[in-house]
Amino acid sequence: MVFQILLTLFALFAIMKTIGQYRRAQVSKYWVVVFTLLWAAVVIITAIPHLADILAGYVGIGRGADLILYCAVVVLTYAVYRSIVRDQKLSAEMTSLVRAVAINQAQVPEVEPKI
Amino acid sequence: MKIIAVIAAYNEESRIAGSILDAMPYVDAVVVVDDGGKDKTAEVAHSAGAHVLRHIVNRGQGAALETGTTYALQNLGADIIVHFDADGQMKGSEIPMMVEPILSGQADVVLGSRFLGKEAENMPLVRKIMIKLGLLFTITLSGIKVTDTHNGFRALSRKAAEQIRITLDRMAHASEILDLIKAKRLRYVERPVTIFYSAETLAKGQSTLKAVATAKDILKKKMFGE
Repeated sequence: MVFQILLTLFALFAIMKTIGQYRRAQVSKYWVVVFTLLWAAVVIITAIPHLADILAGYVGIGRGADLILYCAVVVLTYAVYRSIVRDQKLSAEMTSLVRAVAINQAQVPEVEPKI
Repeated sequence: MKIIAVIAAYNEESRIAGSILDAMPYVDAVVVVDDGGKDKTAEVAHSAGAHVLRHIVNRGQGAALETGTTYALQNLGADIIVHFDADGQMKGSEIPMMVEPILSGQADVVLGSRFLGKEAENMPLVRKIMIKLGLLFTITLSGIKVTDTHNGFRALSRKAAEQIRITLDRMAHASEILDLIKAKRLRYVERPVTIFYSAETLAKGQSTLKAVATAKDILKKKMFGE
């Protein structure tokens, strides 16, 4: 029972944090809804462990814990992939920006050698 | 024919002036790209009479060469671009010999080679082995037969420079250039060049570990095009 209480408290904390960030316009309403649903699902599943087993049975996996683990791996892998793609795009944009600034502010030699 | 030398420099305040003055007699202008270094490279280069461009954030040698080349083409109307080094490893007096095949219309790209007769001075054995391994790796992947894949001394005609856009910001650009030569069907020749290895340049140069990162960049570009 201790775990369920701690997890519920943490979930409430995480949801409040997201709402706070939404108020400061750091995340969109979309993420408030997604995270709230996610944490609610986590709380419900840990509160009623049997529930995950039932769901696992429907999709052909033995244990509820395994189902949760598989889902977590898929979601996290996708999140990391998205993050890498965004990182590369940002890096390319950064190079373009740095290049544009460099060319814009080029220092021409005071005494032109031959040109 | 306007010949422009492009030098990518990162924290080279003690050697950059020497390189600029070495190249200057053989070109119409020298463009130095200070790749976000923390020392006085830009100031020294400017005093030495170069056009100076500053990357406000370090982006890597490939990115710096691309910046300098773009500037030379757009702002200086370059007919020939020469990629030169910042630390006195190359000889300015070899620039005329490097651009000659372009002037005579024999080639679009001239690549310097450390393995065509002229032996590189003081090249350590480990470096030699790493270069040969890199060579094998690049030839296998790009299918272009050259004797030295990672030599920074090269000359490009305006047409070639316009077609060779470097997108790999770090050290894999040397292989990317070879790939583009092949893909764009540019005519290329190799010329023997002298590369001098001093204790100072070796301390700063490419480590064996960096070679692995470079190989990764090349493979990634090959397999996924990015």
